[in-house]
Amino acid sequence: MNTLDTYAENTWCPGCGNFGILNAFKKAIVKLEEKGINREYIVISAGIGCHAKIFDYLNISGLYSLHGRDIATIQGMKIANPELNVITFSGDGNAMGEGLAHTIFAAKRNFDMTLILHNNGVYALTTGQYTPLSEKGWKGPSTPKGSVEEPLNALAIMLEAGATFIARGFPGKQAHLTDIMVKAIEHKGFSFIEILQPTVAYNDTWQFYRENTEILEKEPKSFDEAMKNVKRKDKLPIGIFYRIKKPTFHEELYGNWNPVRNRISREKRFQLLKQYLT
Amino acid sequence: MKKAASVASQIFIERGRQVFQMDDYMSLIRGGHNFSVISTATRDIYSHYMKADLIINSDKRSYEMHADELDKNGLIIYNSDEIDNAEGIGVPFYSEAKKFPAKNLLYGVGAVAILACSIGISKNDLNEIIKREYPHFVEDNISFANFIYDYVFPKLNNKFEIENGDKKRPILTGNQSIAFGAIAGGLDVYFGYPMTPASSILHTLASQTDKFGLAIVHPENEIAVINMAIGSAFAGAKAMVGSSGGGFALMSEGFSLAGMTEAPVLCVLSMRPGPATGVPTYTEQGDLNFALNVGHGEFLRIVACPCSVKEAFYLSAEMLDLVWKFQTPGILLTEKHLSESSMTVDINMENTKWAEPKYHKNGNYKRYLDTEDGISPLLFPPSKNVIKWNSYEHDELGITTENPELITKMHNKRYKKDMHIIDFLKQLKTVNVYGNGGPLIFTYGSTTMSVLEALHYGDIEATIIQPIYLRPFPVWELERYKDEPVITIELSKMGQFTSLLKEKANIKSKNLINKYDGRPFDPIELAKKIKEVI
Ligand SMILES: Cc1ncc(C[n+]2csc(CCOP(=O)(O)OP(=O)(O)O)c2C)c(N)n1
Ligand code: SF4
Ligand SMILES: [Mg+2]
Repeated sequence: MNTLDTYAENTWCPGCGNFGILNAFKKAIVKLEEKGINREYIVISAGIGCHAKIFDYLNISGLYSLHGRDIATIQGMKIANPELNVITFSGDGNAMGEGLAHTIFAAKRNFDMTLILHNNGVYALTTGQYTPLSEKGWKGPSTPKGSVEEPLNALAIMLEAGATFIARGFPGKQAHLTDIMVKAIEHKGFSFIEILQPTVAYNDTWQFYRENTEILEKEPKSFDEAMKNVKRKDKLPIGIFYRIKKPTFHEELYGNWNPVRNRISREKRFQLLKQYLT
Repeated sequence: MKKAASVASQIFIERGRQVFQMDDYMSLIRGGHNFSVISTATRDIYSHYMKADLIINSDKRSYEMHADELDKNGLIIYNSDEIDNAEGIGVPFYSEAKKFPAKNLLYGVGAVAILACSIGISKNDLNEIIKREYPHFVEDNISFANFIYDYVFPKLNNKFEIENGDKKRPILTGNQSIAFGAIAGGLDVYFGYPMTPASSILHTLASQTDKFGLAIVHPENEIAVINMAIGSAFAGAKAMVGSSGGGFALMSEGFSLAGMTEAPVLCVLSMRPGPATGVPTYTEQGDLNFALNVGHGEFLRIVACPCSVKEAFYLSAEMLDLVWKFQTPGILLTEKHLSESSMTVDINMENTKWAEPKYHKNGNYKRYLDTEDGISPLLFPPSKNVIKWNSYEHDELGITTENPELITKMHNKRYKKDMHIIDFLKQLKTVNVYGNGGPLIFTYGSTTMSVLEALHYGDIEATIIQPIYLRPFPVWELERYKDEPVITIELSKMGQFTSLLKEKANIKSKNLINKYDGRPFDPIELAKKIKEVI
């Protein structure tokens, strides 16, 4: 069996929350293989940012995309070959700023994919500017007096947009995070995991999350209950908030078809085109 | 009226004639002024003629706009409910149509009846045509058609005797031809966001989804369009996208990503007058420089532009093959005038290319293997091998790098393909030359057809040279014209094509005939302009 590691030099800051995400994901891959989802069928993408470096650290096929466009990239992969399991690693700037339209539409069309959101509350790779998810007042180099905007709530937006699997995890709770990843990837439809990711360089939230996260006792039973939980401020619940079955985009688009596997031959195409060309 | 025009074209086609149909419409859904011009011949015909034998106007505004376009032996029809005693034949369109519930839909039927009468089609045959083409309210349509037919009969009966042509041909718009050509060439998936004049590629393909097993997706915006296409190519699907200038501008970042990841993606760019929103439903060739330069960073691209509906078919398949062979993005450049005009065509599908890339055979895999020709064999997931495509500069395996030697090496690897693309193109038809002798006229795209028709009309002896490929520019075919005085003809204010000829092939234009009012050249007007400069 190939290792899941590559020779790429890891350049994350020591203590960065991304390490915990990488480790949980590798464990999730192993678990998925035990369940019969082979890693050959898993393809990944990533945006651009600290989070996205995970692409180089994982010995898994995929396409290292552009800032915010990874969400579109992996949809293209799946549309071409629906037997692939597609997963993207996105930053909060990436998926909720530059690529927001793609994120909302992927949820809206219940696209069968998993979006792992590394929410560190900053544009880390570009030196700590506020993001769409930063708290009001965040002082970064582009907002030295503090950001004047209210943050978005990513999970609430995803619920509203039509996501069929919504969860939150924390790298400090490895086994829990791994389990969420496995379930998200197994889920048929749009899975969204917000990961509370401490960035030691800009927003060291390790302590805060250790004290304020709380594993959901049981999975909420309804949309409204899920919404209430994702909006909680007193404590930050982690776990699966919402999970429903709904037809996915590619099934609705072409049923059991597979455009690359079932490609119609040249001869057959000619025969069918005759109707228009003679 | 557009429907009536296609019925009229069909009438000529049934008689074995060739047809060129140009639809002129405004960017609105109802009302305004729309018209179609159909020209027909028993030879290849490359353009509509604004000077007409028969002009049918259903309202006053049309009459006023088109009255002076009548040929001296022609006939003009006006609506006698709106105008009295004008030059031509008055027909009471409104008052007659008012008797029927679907009155607004009847003017087209009336126009078909008038055409039928004027070329000697019997009332019986007309009724068959109406039944076939206008099945809704068929009884009303027939009554109305018969009324109009009888009404104009005394003045119009068989006024224009037309010969039958040699055979019945299919008629296609340029966009249909691009869509069908891509299907014949191996297309699997198409992504598009509506934008005139490219939308009908999306519509044509969407209507063929089930038949050809295609995936056709209209996502949130053009940025998604190009990035999805690149993702699809990663998974092994032959992907195409299409838009006009504004939408393609949004794709420019993704176009550059295709350059870096060496993603084979074919982009159709159908030009309309710009900048910005410009004039959505009209034509221009103002995006040539854009197509040649779009995308940040240095990477190879292939750009080609067809001259006719027929050429669009083959070129669409050929470009799909080229982008896959050389793993770099390509642009099939065209204009509204080609995209949305209809022409009778003779297409032999056996002559189309089929996209065939170089595949990895066995053993360890490196996505960006630095080979002799720079082309790294392709492999698609699922695979035991790890396949990494990367937007950052990368090593052969596709892992990000900032190493100076590797950066240089990978730039060189990608650029190596240039020579091989050129060698390959040298075996293809990259330049069309029409005629020999007389002055040299350089033109490209659908303007070529206007020039061909102008030479025919004006009985002008000249040689037309039309580069099909614009990047790489086929200088090897153009060497011999270097020191010749040439005329250039294009639909561009700044003469972008003229500059390209100078820059790449050192061919200097002594006369630029250009036009930029959103309308294609009319052959008569163009013949006059050509005569002025030769
Ligand atoms: C189109 C574009 N705009 C801007 C950038 C520069 N850029 C790189 S990473 C980044 C922010 C990343 O923030 P986030 O997605 O939160 O990732 P993080 O670094 O925090 O993991 C930006 C703006 C870019 N690469 N591309
Ligand atoms: S800057 Fe923050 S997110 Fe980036 S590697 Fe360092 S700790 Fe991690
Ligand atoms: Mg971030």
